[in-house]
Amino acid sequence: MSEQPSTDHLKDVAGDCVHCGFCLPACPTYQLWGEEMDSPRGRIHLVSQLLDGAPLTPATATHFDRCLGCMACMTACPSGVQYDQLIEAARGWTEHPDQAPAGPPARADAPADAPAASPAAISAPARFARRSLRDRTTRAAIFAVFPYPARLRALTAPLRMAQRTGLDKWLAGSGLPAKVSPAAEAALRLAPPSAKRTAGQRLPERVAARGPRRAVVGMLTGCVQSVFFPQVNAATARVLAAEGCDVIIPRGQGCCGALSGHSGRHAEAMRFARATIETFEQAGVDAIVVNSAGCGSAMKDYERLLADDPTWAARATALSGRVRDLAEFLAGLGPVAPRHPVPVTAAYHDACHLGHAQRITRQPRELLGAIPELRLVELPDAGTCCGSAGVYNLLQPQAARELAVRKADSVLASGAELVISANPGCTLQISAELAQRGKVIATAHTAEILDASINGRPR
Amino acid sequence: MTISSLVPRMSRICGPGNVVTDPLELRTYECDGLTSHRATPALVVLPCDAGQVAAVVRECAAAGIPFVARGSGTGLSGGAVPREDGVLIVMSKMRRVLEVDPLARRAIVEPGVTNLAVTQAAAPYGLFYAPDPSSQVVCSVGGNVAENSGGAHCLKHGFTVNHVTGLEVVTPSGELTWLGDGTGVPLGYDLLGAFTGSEGTLGIVTKVVVKLTVAPQAVHLVLAGYATLAEGGRAVSDIIAAGIVPAAIEMMDALSIEAAEAAVACGYPQGAGAVLLVELDGPATEVEAELATVMKIIEAAGATEVRTADDPAQRFAIWKGRKAAFAAVGRLAPAYIVQDGVVPRTALGDVLARISALSASSGIRVANVFHAGDGNLHPLVLYNDAVPGEAARAEEVSGAILDACIEYGGSITGEHGVGVDKSRYMPRMFSDDDLDTMQLLRCAFDPASLCNPGKVFPTPRLCGEVPGHHRAPHPAVVSGDAAAAGGDQGTAPQSPPMEIF
Amino acid sequence: MSARLSAAAAGKALAAACDSVRPGTADDAVGAIVPSFVAAPSSTAQASALLRACAEHDLAVVPRGSGSRLGWGAPPARCDVVVDMLRMGAVIEHAAGDLVARVQAGARMADVASVLAKAGQEIALDVPGGATIGGVLADALAGPRRLRYGTPRDLLIGITVVRADGMVAHSGGKVVKNVAGYDIGKLFTGSAGTLGLITEATFRLHPLPAARAWVTARVQGTSPEVTTMAAAMAAAAANSPLVASAVELDRLASGGPISVGVLLEGSADGVAARAEEMKGLLSAVIRSGDAVIRSSDEAAPGAEVVHGAHAMITAPASAAPDCWGWVPLGGDDATLLRVSFWVSALAVVLEAIEAAARETGLRPFVMGSAGAGALYVMLPAAEAPGVAARFVGLVRAAIPAGRGGAVLLSARAPLRAALADDGGLAGSTPGLALMRAVKDQFDPGHRMAPGRFTWA
Repeated sequence: MSEQPSTDHLKDVAGDCVHCGFCLPACPTYQLWGEEMDSPRGRIHLVSQLLDGAPLTPATATHFDRCLGCMACMTACPSGVQYDQLIEAARGWTEHPDQAPAGPPARADAPADAPAASPAAISAPARFARRSLRDRTTRAAIFAVFPYPARLRALTAPLRMAQRTGLDKWLAGSGLPAKVSPAAEAALRLAPPSAKRTAGQRLPERVAARGPRRAVVGMLTGCVQSVFFPQVNAATARVLAAEGCDVIIPRGQGCCGALSGHSGRHAEAMRFARATIETFEQAGVDAIVVNSAGCGSAMKDYERLLADDPTWAARATALSGRVRDLAEFLAGLGPVAPRHPVPVTAAYHDACHLGHAQRITRQPRELLGAIPELRLVELPDAGTCCGSAGVYNLLQPQAARELAVRKADSVLASGAELVISANPGCTLQISAELAQRGKVIATAHTAEILDASINGRPR
Repeated sequence: MTISSLVPRMSRICGPGNVVTDPLELRTYECDGLTSHRATPALVVLPCDAGQVAAVVRECAAAGIPFVARGSGTGLSGGAVPREDGVLIVMSKMRRVLEVDPLARRAIVEPGVTNLAVTQAAAPYGLFYAPDPSSQVVCSVGGNVAENSGGAHCLKHGFTVNHVTGLEVVTPSGELTWLGDGTGVPLGYDLLGAFTGSEGTLGIVTKVVVKLTVAPQAVHLVLAGYATLAEGGRAVSDIIAAGIVPAAIEMMDALSIEAAEAAVACGYPQGAGAVLLVELDGPATEVEAELATVMKIIEAAGATEVRTADDPAQRFAIWKGRKAAFAAVGRLAPAYIVQDGVVPRTALGDVLARISALSASSGIRVANVFHAGDGNLHPLVLYNDAVPGEAARAEEVSGAILDACIEYGGSITGEHGVGVDKSRYMPRMFSDDDLDTMQLLRCAFDPASLCNPGKVFPTPRLCGEVPGHHRAPHPAVVSGDAAAAGGDQGTAPQSPPMEIF
Repeated sequence: MSARLSAAAAGKALAAACDSVRPGTADDAVGAIVPSFVAAPSSTAQASALLRACAEHDLAVVPRGSGSRLGWGAPPARCDVVVDMLRMGAVIEHAAGDLVARVQAGARMADVASVLAKAGQEIALDVPGGATIGGVLADALAGPRRLRYGTPRDLLIGITVVRADGMVAHSGGKVVKNVAGYDIGKLFTGSAGTLGLITEATFRLHPLPAARAWVTARVQGTSPEVTTMAAAMAAAAANSPLVASAVELDRLASGGPISVGVLLEGSADGVAARAEEMKGLLSAVIRSGDAVIRSSDEAAPGAEVVHGAHAMITAPASAAPDCWGWVPLGGDDATLLRVSFWVSALAVVLEAIEAAARETGLRPFVMGSAGAGALYVMLPAAEAPGVAARFVGLVRAAIPAGRGGAVLLSARAPLRAALADDGGLAGSTPGLALMRAVKDQFDPGHRMAPGRFTWA
């Protein structure tokens, strides 16, 4: 079974690009640097060069790494280019250069058959594009921890302790983490305030509908969400129950594979996907409700991820078809629970994996807009990524920080007192940047605000 | 001097991070929005201010190395195709809006600022930047100046040249100078006007003073579906005859409607042979009066469906289909050629009929999206480059369309520019004497012929020739052997001719 | 070859090229120079032959339309042949359905207007009717409606010129939208005859408006409050979505009242409504002003007093106010200065003119397109050149650098001499080196109106 789509298929996908450039202004890294190679059009061009047999140069790999995977370009593209397929393939090549179309080039400074070489032949040494040791170590560490809630919980305990004792401020002030690793510094900066210990941290396996039952739904608890934001999961379950859903929360569920898939770790992603499919197949639910945008997007994509696996393709398609984002599901279901006023001026931030990858922008605004006394303001750069992008803020801390700065500027200019988003990474990213400036603007998940309005729960 | 020896100098000027030498990276700059013409630049630099641009150009001038400026790379005539033996100067890092003066209705922007960003900066003052090419979300103001870009609304509001009142430019010898002072009041030769639309051959823009327009009190968009293009065309003629100059009159044919629908689900009338968009703007009372007249005309011409929109969201939804049309055609065929010919409005019907006939006889599909109000056609000639010979036939159809435009007294390009793509058609539209006269301007600005050489003109005049004396063209030029034409100057056109005066 | 012999040979060559050639007279003088010949070609072909003959005989050429503004700029250093364009006065083509017209350069604006009016169309340039098409282009002449329609370069879509060497060249065409090749037409607007001879031009036309209305406001008071208020009115009118076609200003006497006139064009009902709204807008500006308004002006019939007795707004009128669109000529009696600026600097400019008047004792007459950033300032020509030069210097100094200037369109020799070392007639000229290079390319022998510009 091949891990990567075929070269021919990818060439077809890349061939859909007419080079119009409409994706450029939508791309966060093009907004930052204004360079073709760090735009979707440029990355597609690089992918095409590789597909035509050009060797993967370190510079090229860098441009793939810098892509946030926010998919804003796909929303902007009039030609319907499936950029997600191209960038995932490219990420696979940067993870495993031997799997790149040209294979690993001979370890000569200038490959003999470099079709891309300019006539002027100012060729940079096109060496085997292997990541630096530190980069590889960071990646290995991230992927060994984040997808596993138990490990994440154990490892972040000292960090959460540090926050409680004020150690974090001391550490940040010392500049020590930045000296150790930019990723460590970023992780410290971005770590959320330790979650309030809610009674019975673990959710029950079943939450019964309040009033007449309208649906039976499964719920994904997620890795980061369940460790850092258990209260969001609790709120989600309460809101679903209040709207008449029996909520099934399977015990054995693990990571959905989103982080791995979005980072080019295809085999790992498929492994997580199969496990998740199995878990929810056994739950016997009408729909699987996901409150984390990245997870929802990945699960809707199982269909494509496992398309070439004859034993799993049909099961993947069936499962993807039942996945719903929380806002998508609630808007489709229609409200029955009465809403109470939440008097606040709030900005809704589109998580990229909800707004761009799942094209869900209207439903959360409708749900929030229907809450009495909640004034919803739009951010001028609503379609632009905040820089969180899964683990991007750990791998590309500099770029992520610059994007966070822009987003924080726009949040402050909007006059919002509260930022609502459907992705834990986004709220972490934005509140961390605001905190750096000494600005306290509350952040919340859509579910929490709905919970507050329906169940009167103070956040 | 070789280009590689320029690298350290360029790095000192622009910073090492802003000089591109990796072969794969260089190749991402090989074409602009027109992918049929490609050339990988030897070197790419991304300057951050006017001083850096001037210094880069001075290095090129001193070394006799050609250079090409590029904005967002969305041009449709290959005007920013690099030189393989030259430096590509990318302006996309210079994108600050430097000043908005609402009282004077002026803004000063850097050339890399996108067209739409100017309007966004002006909007808080109730102003907007009128030229609106379909690619306005991404195309740069510097590129707009180079191409004298139009857009749907230039029918009433004019082109880039009517909205630029000052330019800071780097001349091909590397001098920083101003053309115009922002007032719009001319002084001496209108160099500002001549520079605008010169397709990057007279210098590189580093600051642009644009005129801002007061946002209209009322805007009304009418969408009408017709069974045929001819019926829609009749409505257009009658609107103009009624003494109304709408802000925009656009038409799309069945193929382009299909493409736009697939791309952005714009909800245009299903099965229509033509869609007509008429936008009226201005003082509310005037728009109301015009709207009544226009509605009568549109219905009288046989509209099958009419919709009107006066709020921004509705108008945006309707315009979305039109503005996405070009790129959307990418869904209909693996490849296409966009033409940009212009005919007198009254000849639209004849020329459209000619295009259908050409399409039928060649078997090459042609989609039509056009600015009907000013006769600017955008036939999209569709082909499959995988089918042997189809590209050549498409090119033939494309050339025949331009011939028809010229025959009816029109132009080979209304807003995309000549670039590298249409330079061979220039002699069909202009005499040798006309072209020679244009070259006088070129020689005044760029005697060494280093600034975007090979664009606009089929065979550049050598500035070393004593100007002012009418001579028969050199035999080598007549025979098309351009390389030999420079013989009496001891240089070939590719390398800079000697400056002898 | 003796001078006489060569003159005779030249005359013969000119006569062979053109069917109307006569010796020049004192009436034909350009500056102080009486030309040897006046030739009036009847076609572009004749003009081409004529200029080729001039080139062969090294004759300096000055093109002439109506002749009204031959006195503008510096007088040419040489003038052997005046090319009189009045025989080329036809409207060659009026494609009403396409809203374009091709006309010969010697056609007078009023004659062209009457032809176009038959189809309810116009060239939207309100310049004097006696001026020729070629003259309007060569001097880049524009009237009040420049605010809405721009200057000649904005309406010109195609041009035919005869180069100094006699070659005929076209650029543009007869379609409004056209970016093929360089726009030589733009280059020739404002060229004042120094690059070649314009023989034909094609313009985009506009429908004649069904109705017009003028709203005029007059304010009088102390400086700087009154200039500030006038500037505020002009800016408000020009920036209003009511779409003014023109916003003019005049101050006929230093320290006297300032009038701001606004022209609205459109449908009958629309114009009436907009004129009322415009009146309201100007009233609001006056009411919000903190001017200490001094004395009243005589009340015009129908005038509505809106702020005490010191400012008044004339009810919308369907006829133009006095002096509307008058482009001063200058000449022997008057020095003519054109001041251009960003409209945000209007108050500064008006105040600078007042201050310069106070300091020099001159009594300037100011009028022009305030809303478009262009004003004419007339000074009595009899004043001592040093004083006038001082006035010009003070005004120039007040205009924000690089954002406008003060150009002497018409000035007598002593004033020109006085300014020679102080910016000359034009003051600072952006792109001067390029202007010179263009002149050298188009007219390498410097025979076309040589010396008109400092660079040409």
